[in-house]
Amino acid sequence: MPSTISAGDTAWLLLSAALVMLMTPALGFFYGGLVRRKNVLATIMHSFFILCLISVQWVLWGYTLAFGPDHGGIIGGLDWLTLKGVGQEPGPYAATVPHQAFMVFQMMFAVITPALITGAFAERKRFKAFVIFTLLWATFVYDPIAHWVWGGGWLGQLGALDFAGGTVVHITSGVSALVAALVLGRRVGYGREALEPHDATMTVLGASLLWFGWFGFNAGSAITAGGLAANAFVVTNTAAAMAALTWMTVSWLHKGAPSVLGAAAGAVAGLVAITPASGYVDVSASILIGLGAGIFCYTAIQLTKRLRVDDALDVFGVHGVGGAWGAIATGIFATVAVNGAAKDGLLAGNPGQLGIQAIAVSASILYSAVMTFVILKLIDVFVGLRVPESEEVLGLDASQHREAAYQI
Amino acid sequence: MEFLAFASFAVLVVAWLVAPSRGDIAVVSHAEDRKAA
Repeated sequence: MPSTISAGDTAWLLLSAALVMLMTPALGFFYGGLVRRKNVLATIMHSFFILCLISVQWVLWGYTLAFGPDHGGIIGGLDWLTLKGVGQEPGPYAATVPHQAFMVFQMMFAVITPALITGAFAERKRFKAFVIFTLLWATFVYDPIAHWVWGGGWLGQLGALDFAGGTVVHITSGVSALVAALVLGRRVGYGREALEPHDATMTVLGASLLWFGWFGFNAGSAITAGGLAANAFVVTNTAAAMAALTWMTVSWLHKGAPSVLGAAAGAVAGLVAITPASGYVDVSASILIGLGAGIFCYTAIQLTKRLRVDDALDVFGVHGVGGAWGAIATGIFATVAVNGAAKDGLLAGNPGQLGIQAIAVSASILYSAVMTFVILKLIDVFVGLRVPESEEVLGLDASQHREAAYQI
Repeated sequence: MEFLAFASFAVLVVAWLVAPSRGDIAVVSHAEDRKAA
């Protein structure tokens, strides 16, 4: 039987996997600039370490849990443990690319998702606790929810639309970040001293590289190198730009100056919000999604600060709220004119899709919140989540890694 | 929806026109830096 593999699709998917891979170290820079200089190495290490850890976890058991043959709509079977049976021929999810190419593309999503959470517990979490948390969270939160939505699980069967990870990646990480911030508690000095970003230029560089990598994240999720990928590329760029403009404008009116960090955070919020919708909406919708991301995420962050929740790097506001807005917006703006294999949303005459999206959002929030709480509490009992106060004051670079970021 | 897309961008443009300018504060900040040095 002749192979159905397309050289174009395979090249695009492998390149997209590389683009998404870049997003995790880019996130390290984005977060690294936002922390104080005594914690920058530890913060970057969170992302870099997760890239290594989940790369191994995914090939050993993560991929088969998420994408292996379905068991009751809940979890994948162990048929593809250590990638047995995942080879150079196409698998069940993509007819024109090697199964391994699909697997490695998905791996990069599994890598960046727990890395997003690290912004919430920055500057105070014990490294050992972070390692155990990441491994457990990837296995018991990410892998099952990825299966529910993309691996033939119950949310996918229900008809939930999530093109590139609004629920699977952003709601799960954003909600888990909020839970982590609440369980760990505030940083020493929170509310009494300025916990200012030590290098805004590093953060803007990180945001720019995230934006670049996001083209692989969203346009790569088309799997094929064709019109759908092009649409995802265009709406991704548009929503990011619109959200950056909106966030900067709102902060300008609110606080009196056009914030550079605000523009960077706004771009990320727009990228988050367009993620679930990017394969289903047109460019006009992407402008409105970007607008909503800028307003909703900015407002959410002001609220969390007013409630004195120390989500150190605003992960919940950007990823939790942005992901939820994107998932709901997909139910509003989706149209088969963009993707004939999908479904219309509310504005195209299918209000039921909005209800399905709400179920997917609610299920993702509930499951990830409960599981994250349980995992953190277990780790706190056996290992301890936070570093001692003296080590926190000294900084995690010195206390956890015995290194310094800068010699100048 | 196209109208809403245009309108939302137009609102941003208007906001930039009416938003406050704070250039004077940056000048004060630099002056203080030099003084401290």
